[in-house]
Amino acid sequence: MIALPYSRNKRYLTGIDWIVHVLNYMTMRETGAGFMSQVVIEVAGDLNAFVVDNVLNTFIKKHPIVNGCFSRDINLAPYWKISLDKKSEISLDTMTLKGDESFDVIINSLEKGINTLFNNKKEHIAFHILTGGGKSYIAMTFDHLLFDARNAEAFLNMFQKGWEGVEDSGNMTITEPAHLSMWMDKFKAGQRVNRAFLQIADRIPPRVLPLPPGKKNGFKFKILSFSRKVAEAITENAFNQAGYLMLMPYALSASVSALHEIFAGRGFASGNYVIPVSIDTRKKEEVKRQVFFNNVSFFIFKVEAALADKFPELLKSVKEQMYNQVKADLPGDICKASLLMRIAPLPLLGSLMKIYLKGQIASFSFSYVGETAYESSCFMDNKIINIFHMPRVPVPPGIGIFFQQSKESLNVILSYLDGMLTDEESGKILNLLKSRLGVE
Amino acid sequence: MDQESYKVIEESLIREVAAILSMDQGSVGPEVPLHEMGLDSLGFVELLVIIENKFKIKLMESGLTKNDFRTIRSLSSKIGAMK
Repeated sequence: MIALPYSRNKRYLTGIDWIVHVLNYMTMRETGAGFMSQVVIEVAGDLNAFVVDNVLNTFIKKHPIVNGCFSRDINLAPYWKISLDKKSEISLDTMTLKGDESFDVIINSLEKGINTLFNNKKEHIAFHILTGGGKSYIAMTFDHLLFDARNAEAFLNMFQKGWEGVEDSGNMTITEPAHLSMWMDKFKAGQRVNRAFLQIADRIPPRVLPLPPGKKNGFKFKILSFSRKVAEAITENAFNQAGYLMLMPYALSASVSALHEIFAGRGFASGNYVIPVSIDTRKKEEVKRQVFFNNVSFFIFKVEAALADKFPELLKSVKEQMYNQVKADLPGDICKASLLMRIAPLPLLGSLMKIYLKGQIASFSFSYVGETAYESSCFMDNKIINIFHMPRVPVPPGIGIFFQQSKESLNVILSYLDGMLTDEESGKILNLLKSRLGVE
Repeated sequence: MDQESYKVIEESLIREVAAILSMDQGSVGPEVPLHEMGLDSLGFVELLVIIENKFKIKLMESGLTKNDFRTIRSLSSKIGAMK
């Protein structure tokens, strides 16, 4: 191993970062745009785009890491090359609302931002403002190569702290070792992950919805926002049906159950469901220190199709799998084992990831982002009404359900590649989710 | 089980919850609901795994009723009664 001197403009990528690069590559190949997401802050009052633009530009210039790009070191470890060019301006576009638009129309407008390519390979953030009618939306479209969902919130939180005059980036770290030691530990983790995937894999592929034809499909979003009071009722339902603090298994089971009806409606009769669930295993304080890149790992759930419409049995199976994966530390092993994959080029690794599930990756994606990393009740000086996410799901599978809590609401987001679901099917999924969560 | 044994279980759980939540042990109250302290599904399952390893009791299949699991004190009583 060649020991390289530490460089200020270099941040080594973890194995999870590399998996995100693979998902980005696959999504780009299938849809023409990458693995991006968007965090939307809905505020009361009008945002002044000129002021927002100025303040954001000043803030972003303090963080040249956002204008980085992938490179490989002499020791072959992939790293994020941090640009020291401070000239680049952020991209911000504005749109005026009449004020009488329905939420669906606003979501359609916000979809344009998340489905637009970045201007170049060094741009990983873009902002969009919709304003009018007494409220505004500021959306930060971000590249998952740079942030996971919680880190994107933490980044905006850092911006807000600066606006409020409380600089809160003192403990932030962006360094990461190259992880070119302890190989036996990584290989053993790889063996355990391999065994876990073999257990999940069936002789036939999992159930998946076919991808629509064409490569330029954007993503569509349907969002359910529940008030704190309704969210508390959902939590209580989860505690009663799934057990104390079993909100994540409950939400996942509700999602499987809802999507199963769509599969059944289309006449799918073979294959089970495989669902990767991204989780953030960090403590709250660590979120403040590690604002950039991807600090997640995964559970992988397999649900027998025969259980998907039997809610108590489905819940039991999901809880058991979660328990067994925590006990075996599967998420930890995935982090370690993925470090070995960094040597593989993106197209090769993309193909390798499909081997276990006979050419597929998953039936759908799921995540539950609990406590928000955005602490303030305002964005700049405007009171926040809601914060929600609009993630493009890796393609395949091209469809996902995400639960996300803000201080104000519990949001459930259905994200899918345009053409994968009819309007009737997406509406049905939302109604089924409400029904399964007990808030019809 | 005697009172002293319950106390030992409770102190052990306080240490584990503090470690999971990265909190000072002094800020973990035995009567404070775990969800109010910030424990989520993942943290709670981690705690159940620790309990299995330490006390050889598998609680995941026990129904996880709110009354039995809501606080460290009630959880200690549940473990004590099952030992």
